[in-house]
Amino acid sequence: MNPSAATEISSQAITLMATLMLLVQLLMTAQRMLLTSIRLFAIQSLLLAGIAALVAYHHNASHVYVVAGLTLIGKVIFLPWLLNRLVHRIQIHQEIEPLLNAPTSMLICGGLTLLGYVLARPFTSMERLGNNTLGIALTLLLTGFFLMINRRKALTQVLALLTVENGVMLAAVALTSYGMPLVVELGIFFDVLVAVMVLGILVYRIRESFASMDTSKLNQLKG
Amino acid sequence: MLLLTPILFAPLLAGLLCLLVPSRRAMSALGVLAFATTLGLGIALLYQVLARGVVTEWSEFLSADALSAWMVLLISVVSLATSLYAGRYFRRDEAAGAVTPGRVREFFVLTPLFGAGMFLVVLANNLGVMWAAVEATALSSVLLVALYNRRNSLEAAWKYVILGSLGLALALMGTVFVYAAASKNNPQSLPSFNWSYLMSVAGRLDPHLLKLAFVFAFIGYGTKAGLAPMHTWLPDAHSEAPSPTSAMLSGVSLKIALYALLRFHILTTACLDSGFSRYFLLGFGLFSMFLAAPFILVQRNLKRMLAYSSLEHVGLICTGIALNTPVTIFGALLHMGYHALAKPVLFFAAGNIHQTCHSLEFRVIGPGVGKVLPVTVLLMGLAAIAAIGLPPFGLFLSEMTILSGGLAAHQTTVSVLILVALLASFCGILQQLARILLGARKPGDHANDARRLDGVPAMAMLLGGLLLFSVWLPAPLLELLHQAAGIIGSQP
Repeated sequence: MNPSAATEISSQAITLMATLMLLVQLLMTAQRMLLTSIRLFAIQSLLLAGIAALVAYHHNASHVYVVAGLTLIGKVIFLPWLLNRLVHRIQIHQEIEPLLNAPTSMLICGGLTLLGYVLARPFTSMERLGNNTLGIALTLLLTGFFLMINRRKALTQVLALLTVENGVMLAAVALTSYGMPLVVELGIFFDVLVAVMVLGILVYRIRESFASMDTSKLNQLKG
Repeated sequence: MLLLTPILFAPLLAGLLCLLVPSRRAMSALGVLAFATTLGLGIALLYQVLARGVVTEWSEFLSADALSAWMVLLISVVSLATSLYAGRYFRRDEAAGAVTPGRVREFFVLTPLFGAGMFLVVLANNLGVMWAAVEATALSSVLLVALYNRRNSLEAAWKYVILGSLGLALALMGTVFVYAAASKNNPQSLPSFNWSYLMSVAGRLDPHLLKLAFVFAFIGYGTKAGLAPMHTWLPDAHSEAPSPTSAMLSGVSLKIALYALLRFHILTTACLDSGFSRYFLLGFGLFSMFLAAPFILVQRNLKRMLAYSSLEHVGLICTGIALNTPVTIFGALLHMGYHALAKPVLFFAAGNIHQTCHSLEFRVIGPGVGKVLPVTVLLMGLAAIAAIGLPPFGLFLSEMTILSGGLAAHQTTVSVLILVALLASFCGILQQLARILLGARKPGDHANDARRLDGVPAMAMLLGGLLLFSVWLPAPLLELLHQAAGIIGSQP
């Protein structure tokens, strides 16, 4: 197989996986079971790890393999396991009714996707592999914000934050030929792990004090 | 001799050792020792930077210029005072049953880690590492804000961590864009992500990408720096955290985020050769100052009011830098220093008042709390006079420097706006504090049994430093500030 054909195939595979990441994100905004949301996040992270692995293979860059491996261990296995345990410990399995219902949310997410693509438009020429991955990255960022505003359970907000982070990492892979330097990737990786642990501790304490993890009850501090 | 490495590791080590040592006394001594060490090293660093310009270690992974050295001094001083104050503070809290010994240990472990994170922010050469360090400071301080585990402190911590993490996700996006701009120039290899390298190629970076990067980084780090309108977490976190933590948050943590923001500002200005990033600083800075004034006037909670006053000072620092003349930037940097000396005193005093009156509501505290806690209130009054910008304290000097610099550069409108905002919060704080500090005690309230000298060493140290440096700026420090101002304002 000649090199340009190989590039074409990896490029298409990356585009496909990035699109699937977006699809998973949309599914997450539409459903309410916490355990399913965690599983969807794991799938999204798996796709991200796949993209990183493909980039590493294509550029023959060993440190990007490390990034893919860390994503696999951290975000596909460890964090979902941690969040699952938290869900079982605090005994809350379902999100209450979101502020906006599913069809409205979908419409808004559609609009945000459009916005993401428009924002990414001037920079698509910079992408090394894949088409419009930057647009998808920005869309993940925007819909992640929306998910956070639209949901009231503390745990869903944590998941929303993690999808935002997935979006940023996708942008990092899409825009730079070899990802970022390893020390930065390691720093980001450990920060995310610690962040989820800190958030988990807080969720647990909030659940203990308020007998709920509905963040709309966190409304005493004003002005 | 290695300088940057021990500055980074002294607090880290102290934090880890606090996991092992048995008593609260030992833990607080460790904290004091660590930050006294970093202060000494920081002074040594000052001379090194003056002699060599830039000090690097670990093959340029760590690097310090005049701006970093200035921030190292600020972090050390505020953290040292906090460690001095915290020992007694938590002894009283523990005696009153407000915290468990486990939580106190949590404080003494996390505070040096918080400090180490801030040192890494200012010493890291790599912009990505700088981001990771800012995130680390946010994470270590979240648990400190939630230390009391009351409903309100959990709420404050949740708002802080969610808004902070969202902001930092945006800042990471900005960081990624900067890196993309750097790697666009040489697609074949992995370019360096070092600040020194980026500055050397600044003129060749893609300007559109860098503009986008700056906007993301501005909103991101601006959230962490508490610039309005992204400041909503700030009064909650400052008021619900234990007072030593509030002092660190307000005294340095805000300025550390501002430092990260300034690095992007310098890079963007060097690349675009225009005032694009300055207008952001100017607009958000002025808006923060004007938003703070009315909120100061309507507050009913002492520490919330102090938090809004911090918002005003951060706004002033941004505006001073945005005016972009050597004089105003110098004034802004000086203001950072004086504010770092004055504001912790106010929070420490608020801590003493909180423990005596069991509330931070003005209604419950005053009037006439001066009869109950004479020493604390005297020091608080002095610090308040400093914070609102009255002579003989340095904040008067730095505010005047910014104003006169602005007027000399014919920025009349901005200067007048600054003056109006300063006056408004001047009146606000004066009116609020006069209400509680002065006046006669209500009959029936007897003088409190509070140990009158608790926390005085830390407050006296900061106020003494403030007074000393207000009347006498040593020549090396002055030179350092001029160099730091040169780094920020070397471009048009």
